[in-house]
Amino acid sequence: MFRGKVRRHVEAIATGLKYLVKPNRITVYYPEEAIVLSERYRGMIHYDWDKCISCGLCAMICPADAMKMYRKKGEKKARPGINYQRCIFCGYCVDICPTNALSFTRVHDVAFEKLDEMLYPPEKFTSEWRSPAEERGARRLRVVFDEERGLKHVPEQ
Amino acid sequence: MCMGLVSSLVRLVLSPQFFGPIVFPGLVTVLAVLLSIIWVERKIAARVQMRVGPLYILRPLGGAIQMLADGLRFFFQEFIVPETVDRVPFLLAPVVAMSFAMLPFAFVPLAPNFKPYTVPYSMPAFLGLNTVIPLTVLAMAWGSNNKFSIQGGIREAYMTIAYEAVLFISAYSMALLYHTLDFAEMVEAQKVPGILLNPISALVFFIAMIMSAGKLPFDIVEGEQEIVAGPFTEYSGIAFGLTMGIGYVQLYGFTLAFTLMYLSGWEPLVAPLYSIYPALGGILLFVKAYLLLVFIVFLRAVYGRYRLDQALRIGWRTLFPLAIVSVFLSIALGVIGVV
Repeated sequence: MFRGKVRRHVEAIATGLKYLVKPNRITVYYPEEAIVLSERYRGMIHYDWDKCISCGLCAMICPADAMKMYRKKGEKKARPGINYQRCIFCGYCVDICPTNALSFTRVHDVAFEKLDEMLYPPEKFTSEWRSPAEERGARRLRVVFDEERGLKHVPEQ
Repeated sequence: MCMGLVSSLVRLVLSPQFFGPIVFPGLVTVLAVLLSIIWVERKIAARVQMRVGPLYILRPLGGAIQMLADGLRFFFQEFIVPETVDRVPFLLAPVVAMSFAMLPFAFVPLAPNFKPYTVPYSMPAFLGLNTVIPLTVLAMAWGSNNKFSIQGGIREAYMTIAYEAVLFISAYSMALLYHTLDFAEMVEAQKVPGILLNPISALVFFIAMIMSAGKLPFDIVEGEQEIVAGPFTEYSGIAFGLTMGIGYVQLYGFTLAFTLMYLSGWEPLVAPLYSIYPALGGILLFVKAYLLLVFIVFLRAVYGRYRLDQALRIGWRTLFPLAIVSVFLSIALGVIGVV
């Protein structure tokens, strides 16, 4: 039993040394390199003003009460707005939308300076999302499977 | 007159009494070691854990001056003294702890006939001064008046009784082997490095010194996943910087002691450097100690943290008997007359 313990200690230290000498980095230099996310990535939500039929299903299904219908005075149609303080990015609203007015973007790396900025009423909800890293010219990397390493990052063609 | 002043100043700086504790291996070198070793630790841990580690501050060198930036931040951060603390121990304890972490350097000889403080008992004096630090940690814990601090303090008390006896017994076994309590004489007595003569004592001392400095895998006192920062929870600003540095300074001192006792210190002496100025002969001592330090911080990336009861069990059930065995081994070797 004693020999087994010693062996395990030696093995652990040897494994550590192996990675120290030959590092196997799996993270990327983020602001300079960004991983291209999959088509179905659930990032920030985009709202298409013209497709919306004001059914209100999105607000009804939202489990986090993030989605809410807004109606202006004098207007008949109510339109959805979202509060990103509450959104859990479950995707129910996107799934249930009968006209595909709501859709996911692949942008997730945004920051807000104030809590109020996270509130998106219908007019603001239609704005386009852009990844700040990619706007600054980050190299786009794609994750691929590799026989030896498991996962590998290669530049997107 | 002016020349006389300059030459006497130079003589003062180059005297072993000043040069040892203040320049090398003391204060100035300690700061350099602190700044570098924390970066090395973070970088090594990052490599083993498949990450990048500190990077952006001085990017060409991989973020090498990260700790300088952190240190500056500590300086300019507000130092909050909570209303409910016991002010005297709260403010005094980190300073006292840092002082007592620095004092042992006065007993580290650098080269033949270069001792800052000439005393025939440098080894017990070195270890004895280090035993004050747990008491200051208890003072911090008590003075902070915080539940996490108290828990950390209790852990420190438990840990102290687990490692201190072991540390002393293993060190004294080497004293028995070399027939001396003086570091310099120990180095001279080592024809063969002490680690080969008494590997049991070396192993026990190695583990006990990591426990004593409270570094991973024995950072039980701080236990940041459970009790925030243990006894240091209420500290902020430069006082937190001090409390963070104590462990590293202590560990650096211990690696010097380990090198002197087990790795034949400054031998083989670099004669050309020694003839320029005796303290430069200690360069090999420093290199060995630093490499040992790098190895210890590397262990952080390999081991998970031990629980308090596990550490106590190791201390009392494994290390304590091993330390006793090392004493008998030393006596046996002494009787045969190896040294």
